[in-house]
Order: sequence, then C-alpha cells, then structure tokens
Amino acid sequence: MAKPEQLSASFRDPSGFLFSRGGILYRQVNRMYAEDYACLMDSGLYEKLVKIGLLIPHIETDQPPAEKESAFKIIQPERVPFISYPYEWSFSQLKDAALATLSIQKRALKVGMSLKDASAYNIQFVRGRAALIDTLSFEVYKEGKPWDAYRQFCQHFLAPLALMAYVDVRLSRLMRDYIDGIPLDLTSRLLSTRTRFNFGLLTHIHIHASAQTRYADADVKSAAGNRQMSRTAFLGLIESLENTIRKLEWKPEGTEWGHYYDITNYSEQAFENKKQLISKWVNETKPNLVLDLGANNGVFSRIAGASNVFTVSSDIDPAAVEQNYRTVKADKEQNLLPLLLDLTNPSPALGWANRERESLGQRGPADMVLALALIHHLAISNNVPLPQLAEFFAEMGKWLVIEFVPKSDSQVQKLLSSRVDIFPSYTIEGFESAFETRFRTREKVKIQESERTLYLMEAR
Amino acid sequence: MLFAVPHYLDPGSGSFIIQIVIASLLGLGIALRASWGKLKTIFGKKTNTESEDDNDSTDG
Repeated sequence: MAKPEQLSASFRDPSGFLFSRGGILYRQVNRMYAEDYACLMDSGLYEKLVKIGLLIPHIETDQPPAEKESAFKIIQPERVPFISYPYEWSFSQLKDAALATLSIQKRALKVGMSLKDASAYNIQFVRGRAALIDTLSFEVYKEGKPWDAYRQFCQHFLAPLALMAYVDVRLSRLMRDYIDGIPLDLTSRLLSTRTRFNFGLLTHIHIHASAQTRYADADVKSAAGNRQMSRTAFLGLIESLENTIRKLEWKPEGTEWGHYYDITNYSEQAFENKKQLISKWVNETKPNLVLDLGANNGVFSRIAGASNVFTVSSDIDPAAVEQNYRTVKADKEQNLLPLLLDLTNPSPALGWANRERESLGQRGPADMVLALALIHHLAISNNVPLPQLAEFFAEMGKWLVIEFVPKSDSQVQKLLSSRVDIFPSYTIEGFESAFETRFRTREKVKIQESERTLYLMEAR
Repeated sequence: MLFAVPHYLDPGSGSFIIQIVIASLLGLGIALRASWGKLKTIFGKKTNTESEDDNDSTDG
C-alpha cells in the first residue's frame, strides 16, 4: 500500500515518486535511477532544457526520504500553479505539448539520453509554455534500442491530434475515456481514407494499428529478433513524427469564433465599466489563483493576469479556448492558462481507483472565481436551480465575482425563445436570496448602460 | 543484450516491431539526404542545413 504522503498519481515508474510533506511537493529519486539521474545532471541536458523552458527546474534537498530503503536523492521540483490535463487542452495546446516532447527527445539523443516515456500527462503549461514536469523521464540511451515510448507517444499525442484535425475537434474528449491515449485501431477506423495518403498518418497510425493487431500475441524478443534501430533511424522516426504533427492544423470556425464580444449586450462604456470593477476587486482581494469560468477568449481573465495573478481561463467552446491560447503565445503571457471545460459536466476524477487524475473540484479551491455572463447558461440552458449554483461556486473559491443577467436581457430572451419559461425564481431577488445562504455580498454594482448587475461576494 | 534492458512501459510488440521497420526506412532517407548534401558541396553548391538544436523554440 502506498505511503500516506505519496501522491496517488505517482506509482507507475519505479524510478521514483512524488510525495507531499508540509504542503511542499518533493520527488524521491530511487537508487535504481541513480545512473540515469547523474547522466541527466552531468551531461548538460538538464541545464539546457531548464534554460529554454522545456523542463521544470528542481533543487536537491536534504529532506528525509519517504521510503528510506530505495531512496537515492530527494528533489524539490518547481510547483506548477495549476495542473491541467490533455482532455482540457485546445488543439494548439496539445500540438505544442507534442512538439515539446519531441524537441526534448531530440536534444536528449544528442547527449546520449532518451525519453523512456512520452505521456501527455507529463507535460504542463508553465509560464505559458509546454514543459516536461517529470524529471525522471530520461534514461541513458543504448545504441540500437528502439523507442519504448513510441506507442505511448502515438496514442497520447498523434491520435487525438489527427482526429481533431481530420474528423472533429470534439474528439479530444475521447482522452477522458482512454487515459493511456486513444487506441490506434479506433483512431484508424475513425480517420477517413484520405489520411492514408498522408505518409505520417499512414505509417504512425494506420500501419502501426495493423501491426499491433497482427503481433498482439507475439513476444517482443522473438518477433523483433536481433533487429536493432540505429541512432540515425531513431532520429528519422522522431523527425517524421515532428513533421507529421507540424502539418496537422485545425482552423476554428463557428459563429462564436472571434465575434463573441461584438454580439454581447454591451456598449463600449459598459464593457469598460465592467473591466474597471473587476480590476478594482482583484486588487482589493489580492488572490493568488483566479478561476475564470466561461471566460470565452479570456478578455476578463487578462485583467487578473495583468495584476500578476495566475488565472485559469476556462470555456466550453474549443474555438474560444484555441483563440485564447493563441493570444497567450503571441503575447508571451506567463500567468494565464486557457482550459477547455464543460461546467455542466466538469472533469471528473479518473484513472486507477479514480485517483490518478483529479477532478476540477479537487484541484481547487481558487482564491477567486469569475462567473461573468455565465449564470443564465447554467440556470436556464442547463436547468440548474439557483441554490445549487450557489453551492457549486462556494466550493470553487473564496471570492466570487458574479454577473446577474436578467430575463429582460436579449441573450436570456434568446435562450428562452425555443422553450417554455419554467424559471419563475430566476429574478434578481431570487438570485440574491439563493446566494445569500452561501455568500456575503461585499459589493453590488449595476453596470452602466446595461441591465446587468455585478456582485463581489465572499463565501461564508 | 538489447531487450534485457528493463523498461517499465510496455512498448507493445506490434509497436516495437513496426517502429524498427518505419525508422529504418526513415533513417535511410536521412542518410540519402546527407549524401546528396555532400555531393552538392563537392559540386560547389551551398547547402542549407542548419543545426536544429539551437532553434530554442518548440512553437510551430
């Protein structure tokens, strides 16, 4: 049984594991990994990767080990402000995570090391960029040895990216079901025949899937015989994966794409008024972590971001999240994390014993939650009663900035146009009384030139 | 012995075998490209190969 302080997601790799002590995260490096660890640190690879932001830095500490018998060293990695998962990333986020993995592998090969795994869960967004968080992913490269992580890379990165690019961007949701990446036979069946004319997809997905079926019961040693894979061949494989992934594109389309803020019910002055209020409240409450729910392309998340507050900027629309991430990249923003999140069915706890990947709630609470132009979508489109909404928001964070959008607002009218109004309590009075049980209202401001009201609330 | 190196990740038999085949093919391509580059140098043409290691960006 795992030690009480060992992190439940950290059990697969015998090289070491993560544990938490006194609120600080440590990684135990086991003795069996000593040679690989020394090579990583002495070859200059660690320094180079950290310098260019492809690997999170760590310090070696003299903390007592969590498991004395197997311990070689205890390191303290830099803490990632918010852990996100591949099924919560936009197309370009997953693509950049894939390219970061391949870039690390190429650099590792140059100094005689190789990645022994290529899990998308080992990548996180740190200072706006994809970086490897598992310091123990490297091993000393043995000339002639094929890449153990080839299958994992194809399942975790290439398969979902190909499905998103060629079939439908929403297929990234399959990663929630298939925690070790999307099976290649399934990917091959879902992809159209024309993808067979793409050399990379033909080989790394279609032929790869057939080979898996054909050799399903074969023993690796006897099936591979004495065949080896030269370093040049290895590099050829990595470059081929890289070229295939670089060529995959997804162009966000749809009515919401880029036009959302043009069709809201705001005059320029109302929009500015809303921005100023949020900025003022962020500065007054000084949160460390802001969770913007229904952030669209992140306009209001950036207000918190501008005050150097780490902000998770989530939305249900893949196009909005994609646009948000492209802005993060273009402007080199370091404290904003765009995230794809369906609040009506947020990320659950997943994996072995439901303890490998945390639910959205387990990764909280945030210091401040922004729920702007959101409540009508949850209360009316999704029929969630107001008291349940208050309950949910109170669990998600201490401070809540929430905008009440009344029925008279044309956006709400649009939602009600195709259905019977079964929401008699959806009024400003109904809203206030439902939220009063869980929150104290600190400020209430009617937004200028608008029918909407903005509240700053504190959880009781 | 190459396959005696312990790996914690199951590489999968099919994935293991097929990557050797694909990679050998791709490696051959790289080798041919390198020879072609050398030939061009011999005949006085400038080659346009750059070191990828110093491209410090992963952005596409």
